[in-house]
Amino acid sequence: MMSEIFNIQFLHPSVLYILGGLFIPLFKGKVKQGYMLAVTLLAFFAVVVMPYGTYGIYEFLNWKLMFGEVDKLSKVFAYIFTIMGVIGVIYSIHVKNDGEHFSSFCYVGGSLGVTFAGDFLTLFLFWEMMAFSSVFLVWFRKSPASIDSGFRYLLWHVVGGLILLAGIIIQYSVSGDLSVQHLPFQGWWPTDLISLASFLIIIGFIVNAAVPPFGAWLPDAYPAATVTGAVFMSAFTTKTAVYALIRVCAGSEMLIVLGVVMAIYGVVYAVLENDARRLLAYHIISQVGYMVAGVGLGTPLAINGVVAHAFCHILYKSLLFMGTGSVLHVTGISKLTELGGLYKTMPRTMIYTVIGGLSISAFPLFSGFVSKSMTVTAFSEAHLTWAFMALMLASAGTFLHTGLKIPYFIWFGKDRGIKAQEPPLNMELAMIIGSLFCVGLGIFYKPLYALLPHTVHFEPYTAYHIWESLQVLLFTQLGFFLLLKNLWCEDTISLDTDWFPRKGAKVFIWLTKPLARIEYNFIGEIYEFIIQKPIMGAAKIFKVIDTVVVDGSLNGLGKLTLSMSRKMKNAQSGQIQHYAMYMVAGFIALIIIVMVLP
Amino acid sequence: MKLLDIVELLRSKAAKRIAYGALIILIIVDFIIPRHEIHFFGDKIPGFWSLFGFIACVLIIIVSKWIGHLGLMQDENYYDE
Repeated sequence: MMSEIFNIQFLHPSVLYILGGLFIPLFKGKVKQGYMLAVTLLAFFAVVVMPYGTYGIYEFLNWKLMFGEVDKLSKVFAYIFTIMGVIGVIYSIHVKNDGEHFSSFCYVGGSLGVTFAGDFLTLFLFWEMMAFSSVFLVWFRKSPASIDSGFRYLLWHVVGGLILLAGIIIQYSVSGDLSVQHLPFQGWWPTDLISLASFLIIIGFIVNAAVPPFGAWLPDAYPAATVTGAVFMSAFTTKTAVYALIRVCAGSEMLIVLGVVMAIYGVVYAVLENDARRLLAYHIISQVGYMVAGVGLGTPLAINGVVAHAFCHILYKSLLFMGTGSVLHVTGISKLTELGGLYKTMPRTMIYTVIGGLSISAFPLFSGFVSKSMTVTAFSEAHLTWAFMALMLASAGTFLHTGLKIPYFIWFGKDRGIKAQEPPLNMELAMIIGSLFCVGLGIFYKPLYALLPHTVHFEPYTAYHIWESLQVLLFTQLGFFLLLKNLWCEDTISLDTDWFPRKGAKVFIWLTKPLARIEYNFIGEIYEFIIQKPIMGAAKIFKVIDTVVVDGSLNGLGKLTLSMSRKMKNAQSGQIQHYAMYMVAGFIALIIIVMVLP
Repeated sequence: MKLLDIVELLRSKAAKRIAYGALIILIIVDFIIPRHEIHFFGDKIPGFWSLFGFIACVLIIIVSKWIGHLGLMQDENYYDE
């Protein structure tokens, strides 16, 4: 018996995160911190010891739910998600709000659930769980702006999720097969039912990957999230979508165009942006653009590049969010026009952020160099010169903003005499771990390459490749300092595609006002004359019957219902936050029921 | 030496001169560096990527700012009005 328990080969890390998260409120102080860290470390080791194969198959109605599809691809993503879980929890361990911890645990659990999902139904379940748990990381900021932003975030994801579900249903009705499989989409428009299914699935995925024009939720919500919540969010939603795209949509050519557009789009908006965390959010879009384009190309080198890039990206982007988040935590400011001169008071935070900046810019000896170049080289080898040039252009833009603009305007620039000090120890520790990963992967890249889904025949450190990168980066730096006066930050916001729903809603309300008046005056009177009056007449007759016969017998039942509903009404608060919480609780209950029942 | 001193050293005039010198060395060495497996025409031209980096940077800044001032950049209260 004992040997059977200790022989468990596959322990689903989502179960650890979601069930483990439930017990967080039971502990206090240091014990709670130790407990949270233990859960995340345990989840990481569960991934380490997990052998390849299919586990956790449950029959549910007519469907076969597969919770544990473990192969090279799912394992490498599970590695980085669980590593990020550890770093994120260390960074946020001082947070007093248990709800926030639970949200991030469910969020990480959701993304691991998607990673190991073997069928589309399971994938969808965890997909929605991610959206409904991560929105709390925005709401827990508790400012009016973040409440609004959270609602918009939820709307985008609910729409995206419904499109995905529609695709899944069509796929099931056409093929009778729900297993997560390769369903590439060719062309730009569906021509038959089968291609409609893969089209809708790809749209559902790219909403979460923040591909324009569906990506406006990302720079809207991430800067509105809590300091620690944004660190989690920067890592999981888009990269889980990239994983799903690799699984299902590799080789879909439209992704090449969308990805390249995305890489440039993020860079353009980053020039305009004044909020440090929103600038970084736009650079997530730019970086995920490389990955989406690589998935579209679909060659083994490109897919390896995408996976390696996603792995490194999670580490350096979270590091950047931790650095700017620390500045926000200490000073309460995230606008570049209000920051400056912090190098005297927060020099160590600066070093960590610069390490993140050099990694995202693919500087030799930093993690981006060994990962991004793989994807870019895949485009050069495929002789897609336009895409190759555009991605190189975006690389220059990346260094310009994340490597130069952010550090310059926060730590140097105009000294505004802001009072600051280094952030709390746990935040700094998380940044140190992130920095070590960024430098470590840049130098010792072989272990990462060994994890990639295809065999790697790529050597990043050739003399010419180093030289090519250094030229692009250092001459970008020259351009930055020469044009520094033109790169001044302006205290504005930038309009994105969410302009349409946001302004559109106002137009809709404005349009419906006269309609409402017509309805009230004209239709209302007709209604009264034709329908209301005859019905009232009939009702008078029925009323007599009703009071005498029916009421008596029903009064007793009515009293019961009334007392029941008095108790039930407490659950109906009318606050969508509460409903979303019930939804997450429902998901968890469902997962537990499915897993526990034989 | 403290961290702050290193940062101050990097901000000095001398450091700037060294940086400019490095840029010149970058271009000179590009004439002699061995090339292999060329897929892209620019890889044959010495100094191509130096020029590319500089022009890319200038283009990104100028074009983006231009697009931004066409109407993308708005006051912070834009959506509240």
